[in-house]
Amino acid sequence: MKRIACYAAVTAVSLFPCLPAFAQDYSGRTLVVGTWGGDIERLLREHVAGPLEAKTGAKVEFLLGGSGDRLSKMVAERNNPTMDVTFQNIYEAPAALKEGLVVAPDAALVPAAADVWAGMNDGCYAMSLVGLGIAYSKAVFPEAPEWSDLWNPELKGKMAYAPYPSSEGDGMLAVAARIAGADETNPDAAFAKLAELGAPMLTYNSLDEVLTLMDAGEIAAAPMISGYVISNLENYEGIGFVFPKDPGPVLVRDMVCQVANSPEPELAQMFIDLALGVETQTAYANELNFGPTNSKVVLSDEQAAKVINTPEEVESLLQLDWTYVIAQRSDWTDRWNKEILGQ
Amino acid sequence: MNQTPDITPTTTALLVAPAAVLMFGVFVLPFLFLVVLSFWSQVPGSLSLDTSFTLTNYVRIFSDSYYLGGLWTTLWLSGFVTLICLLLALPLARWIVLHAGRAKGLLIGISILPLICGALLPTLGLVNLLSPLGFINGALKSMGLIQTSLPLLGNITGVSIGLVQAFLPLMVLPLINTVERIPHDYEKAAMSLGASPFVVWRRVLLPLMLPGIVAGSLLVFCAALTAFVTPQILGQGKVVTFASLAYQQAAMVLDWPFASALGIVMLMFLALAGLVGALISRRLARAS
Amino acid sequence: MTSRFGKGLMLAGVVAILLFLLAPILVLIFSAFDGGNIFRFPPRSYSLRWFEEAFNHNEYKSSLWISTVLGVISTAIAVGLSSLAAFGLVRGKPSYRLALEVLLLAPLTLPLVVWAIALLSIYAQLGMNGTLPGLILAHVTITMPFAARIMIATFDEIDPKLEAAAKSLGASPWNVVRRVTLPLAMPGLLSSTAIAFLVSFNDVVVTTLIAGAGWITFPVRTFSRLRTEGIDPTTIAIAAMIVGFTILVIVLGQRLFQLSRRF
Repeated sequence: MKRIACYAAVTAVSLFPCLPAFAQDYSGRTLVVGTWGGDIERLLREHVAGPLEAKTGAKVEFLLGGSGDRLSKMVAERNNPTMDVTFQNIYEAPAALKEGLVVAPDAALVPAAADVWAGMNDGCYAMSLVGLGIAYSKAVFPEAPEWSDLWNPELKGKMAYAPYPSSEGDGMLAVAARIAGADETNPDAAFAKLAELGAPMLTYNSLDEVLTLMDAGEIAAAPMISGYVISNLENYEGIGFVFPKDPGPVLVRDMVCQVANSPEPELAQMFIDLALGVETQTAYANELNFGPTNSKVVLSDEQAAKVINTPEEVESLLQLDWTYVIAQRSDWTDRWNKEILGQ
Repeated sequence: MNQTPDITPTTTALLVAPAAVLMFGVFVLPFLFLVVLSFWSQVPGSLSLDTSFTLTNYVRIFSDSYYLGGLWTTLWLSGFVTLICLLLALPLARWIVLHAGRAKGLLIGISILPLICGALLPTLGLVNLLSPLGFINGALKSMGLIQTSLPLLGNITGVSIGLVQAFLPLMVLPLINTVERIPHDYEKAAMSLGASPFVVWRRVLLPLMLPGIVAGSLLVFCAALTAFVTPQILGQGKVVTFASLAYQQAAMVLDWPFASALGIVMLMFLALAGLVGALISRRLARAS
Repeated sequence: MTSRFGKGLMLAGVVAILLFLLAPILVLIFSAFDGGNIFRFPPRSYSLRWFEEAFNHNEYKSSLWISTVLGVISTAIAVGLSSLAAFGLVRGKPSYRLALEVLLLAPLTLPLVVWAIALLSIYAQLGMNGTLPGLILAHVTITMPFAARIMIATFDEIDPKLEAAAKSLGASPWNVVRRVTLPLAMPGLLSSTAIAFLVSFNDVVVTTLIAGAGWITFPVRTFSRLRTEGIDPTTIAIAAMIVGFTILVIVLGQRLFQLSRRF
């Protein structure tokens, strides 16, 4: 009898770690997350919001829009934030931290942050790794081009760019600078070299605009973010995507931030923890072709080839000094409007 | 014109007060904040604001042909679009009221379809039609009228077409209301007295339609002035408009003082244009 | 202009204008039937999958509902307040009529993104940001210029002698309004309601910044994936259905209520 009781006690004690870590009840509370819409929202709902709601009883609401809108919102609502978690672009995160709008990344609060590749949690937590590569028309480039191939005089004026300011634009400036033998700290060289490509045929606001024209051969190439294009390659036979080698693709990261002084800081940390976790990161890689930042993620060979997921690949990427770049934002926007678009 | 009011000043004030108070609270107060913002500046390389009084934003706008050019382009483009909408909507409204009979509701429905669908989707449909590989160029080519595609996108032409298509409903509806009002026999009476169609239009119909024309024109002009999605997509980034400049500075560069200054400079231009217009119409009223 | 030829020319012109308005929308409606994964015209294969998807997609359905509710509330307030103010301005002939007309038109003269950011800052100071009343106030403000402009024109066009005549025949002020003014103003009321509702329904910029969690409208949802994924063909199917529904309502309204007489 005593032995059974002893065994029962030991079993009960050993089961303790399996109890949900979030034993606290958050029912009736709402976590507000700002993100891009479409598949990104869907994945977050499935792999992060759903489990979080089940574990804590809280509700997760999404705010949809562009990252610039979210940054504006954070600044305007500084005294009374309504967002708890927000997804931002790589260049916005350090600025947000500097302004005191977000909470500095801390592995003590978000355990999964410790699994992220070293040095990535810059300003906020790194969510995905993507590279700025070349999306090109197969009719114009039978073989995948290198960056320098774009400077063919016959192709002048047949490029497409995202609206500036954007990571695509800054990345392209950095590439142009490198091709001219300098780097992005020399804007004169960067702009002069980029202007050689001519005024773009199109500044696109939606993916369909640029991909349809590229498919038909009207647009020769565009610097685009790997995840978006690779996911769309199956819909357009005439388009290819390549990670160039010299210089390599530009590293772009999606960041996930915990907003400072927000209503639900603990829920926010739990959300981010799940977002950085292996399950979500794997789903991101498999369905969105976004490279995982969590070093513990294991992908199939086929999938690993499409995304950036190893330290060696990360090394080969062109990494910009984003703090410097965003400090030039106003100037460079003027210069882009006049020297690139206004040709 | 009878200038004596039909209701007491107190009643007038009571009727007007709710709308005025709401506008003042929700629009004017933020607007005043924008005016103050326009005299501040953004600390370079940061998101915080330098709240010392400065004129740099205004100097920047007035000394830079890029911004002045963008504002000017938007102004005359809006005026042009308003004129075209007026020229198209007048015959359309008159025909619908006078000749459409039972199909009237359906035709009105078709006239406002662009407004129902919103800014984005019809614009994307238009991109498809106007594209170098699109329907219009294809049709013209197959009819042998052109050899190479006409550039209908990425320029003022495409943007104008899109703006007219998007905002024609704003002109058609008020005009339909107005034309309804005019007794149909005014026209016949004037003509039976020997007036030519042109004089009938100028002396009888136009003055009667004036409230509707003014309403429609103001709405189309302002809508075209601040339109963002349609010019961005049809202009392909090559047509610089006021709204795209403001959006770029406000929501992407986050230089709110400069974006506010852009808005206020445009308002100054509008006020000037309004003043000139009012003076001209007063001259005309005195002349006739 | 009464000659046969003149009439034929007018008819041809009217048809041309209507085709011009319809053409892009026809493109959309046809591409909603495309079986592919993306927005494409002309369609390469035909399928109803996007219509099915539209019915199954809970998030689009709830955002359509939110847009409708927000539109109805904002329109009711905007048209109501504008009509009162317009009546006051036109019948009362106050010296401040021009100033008030400018005030009522003012939101249309500014790019809304700039105003929305200022409004959000003020809301944050007041603790109103993200609330439904805050969102409704913003929508009323952007729709009021349209409603006010049309109602001012409407009342300008109603002959005040008709109201004076009713009064002189002994009708109470309330009956004058109910029996004379309102019926005469009905076409204007219908127009301003339609336009105000559509402006509110289709707004993106203001709503993206001002709406709080749980109030994501249909256009905000549509726009939120344009840069990352492009247009979702489901939204094209939804737009096609809205167009079809509107046309149906109009045709039925004509059959059942002789709608064209009221307009």
